[in-house]
Amino acid sequence: MFGFAVAAMAPALVISRMISPRKRSNPVKFLPMECGQVPSGEGRTHFMMQYYPYILMFVVFDVMAIFLYAWGSAILELPKSATLPMMGFLAIMFGAMAFALYQSGRRRIW
Amino acid sequence: MSVIAPNFKLSSFIKSLLDNIFWILLLLVLIGIPLVFMVLFVIPLPVIDGELLTPFLALSWIADPSRTLPIIQAFLETDIFRVMAFPGFGFAALLAAGTIFAERKMMAKIQLRVGPFYCGKFEGILQLMGDGLKLISKEIIIPAKADKPIFWAAPVMFVAAAAAFVALIPVAPGWVVADVDLGLLAVFAVIGFFPIITILSAWSANSKYPFIGGIRALFQMVSFEIPLILSLLGVVILTGSLNLSEIAASQSNFPWIIFLPVGAIVFFITMLAELERIPFDLPEAESEIVAGWLTELSGMMYGLVQLGSYLKLYAFAGLFVVLFLGGWNGPMVVPSFPMELIENGIEMGPITLKISGLAPLLSEVITQEMLNGTLWFVLKTVGVIFFIILPRGVFPRIRVDMLLDLGWSKLIGLAFVNIFIALGLLYAGVLGPGGLQ
Repeated sequence: MFGFAVAAMAPALVISRMISPRKRSNPVKFLPMECGQVPSGEGRTHFMMQYYPYILMFVVFDVMAIFLYAWGSAILELPKSATLPMMGFLAIMFGAMAFALYQSGRRRIW
Repeated sequence: MSVIAPNFKLSSFIKSLLDNIFWILLLLVLIGIPLVFMVLFVIPLPVIDGELLTPFLALSWIADPSRTLPIIQAFLETDIFRVMAFPGFGFAALLAAGTIFAERKMMAKIQLRVGPFYCGKFEGILQLMGDGLKLISKEIIIPAKADKPIFWAAPVMFVAAAAAFVALIPVAPGWVVADVDLGLLAVFAVIGFFPIITILSAWSANSKYPFIGGIRALFQMVSFEIPLILSLLGVVILTGSLNLSEIAASQSNFPWIIFLPVGAIVFFITMLAELERIPFDLPEAESEIVAGWLTELSGMMYGLVQLGSYLKLYAFAGLFVVLFLGGWNGPMVVPSFPMELIENGIEMGPITLKISGLAPLLSEVITQEMLNGTLWFVLKTVGVIFFIILPRGVFPRIRVDMLLDLGWSKLIGLAFVNIFIALGLLYAGVLGPGGLQ
């Protein structure tokens, strides 16, 4: 399906390229869009990643969420006592998440 | 107005025509026919009525209705048909096109406008086609210092990732393009591609607005991926399976939304965020950062991204239906095909019309269950799509920090509440082995 979509959508671009007008006379036309102003500086500037603690948290907790799937899809075969260590794991993760959320909410340290 | 061909000469015209015919024949003989023979060795040909269907037989049988239907049936059972037409691309693109039209008319009605009106005779029903023609005939402008290969590839990859998502959604029993055992994990893997494509497209454009929009998209999709993943864990706990077809089949008596409404609400909100729809359309906030990460995309590239995002919308709505609303399950409303017509044929005076290939087609491929399942799936999906596009006319856009706070503090907490509800239902014996079902 992925391959079919690539094979079906690439001709759309090619056909568009074939039937659309192409005039290369004007250098201003190919400048990046900045609401009509002549763009100043580079396009790929340094940009303050204000909320990067959340990205760091994602790296940890996304893995946790996928680990939970390994447990959740097998829970019908597991004994009931196997849930207790999972609750312990979740408790540790909740503590970690609360600390990380507290830290990422402190804007002074960004 | 210039003359098309000022130095026109009939003899040179005929010469060029003959030249073209010569080259076409040469290429066909040297490349086309060997290619056909090579492909015929690789593709397994179907066996119909005990005979291998060679291209010659297919061409000669197509004139005979009683032999055409088995060929059509064999085609309907191939993977090519599944990918191209029914549970795959064509079906999804049709629903996506309907969604775009319905969304524009509905937004217009909510905002006391008329909406598309003139294109086509009835209520601007051909507006989408006109827009497509307009987009495909527009010039594609690429910024001067853009990273061209990535910039060209990003819209195609966006559509392809959305199509890969569509391929995982089961529409009717047995009608799914890719029936993966770990279907839900495959869905998460495909969802994980979208922020990457977005940020690549934004970075390669070498422009400031796409860059800001791409970073916002990264934040948003990343923060809402964890509540999205956690909110579906309740369904997996109660079903004990990751296969989407099995999850849909497990809801034959009651949909999971009855027992897990919290998870359904969390999943719906995260779905809005992943789809970049209002109130979470920060990556393409048109009143703040022109069009976000779509600013530098022009012409058909923008059209492809729009197509991809509506395919994604259909796929998310289908996923919601499969996981929480029971998928294809519903009361049987499609009447069964009158079998005496197949056995006796249709009698009109002295003429009896009898189509012999119809019985296996109707009993094996287009069954009553399949039609009924598709009907219920489409009805539920259209309902979910309605609720997805409704907030666009009602809510304002929210701020970035509010978005992140909502995703990380509130939705993750609610997702864990949903997991504990599911565990409680399981261990109280209400659901699962020994319980209802």
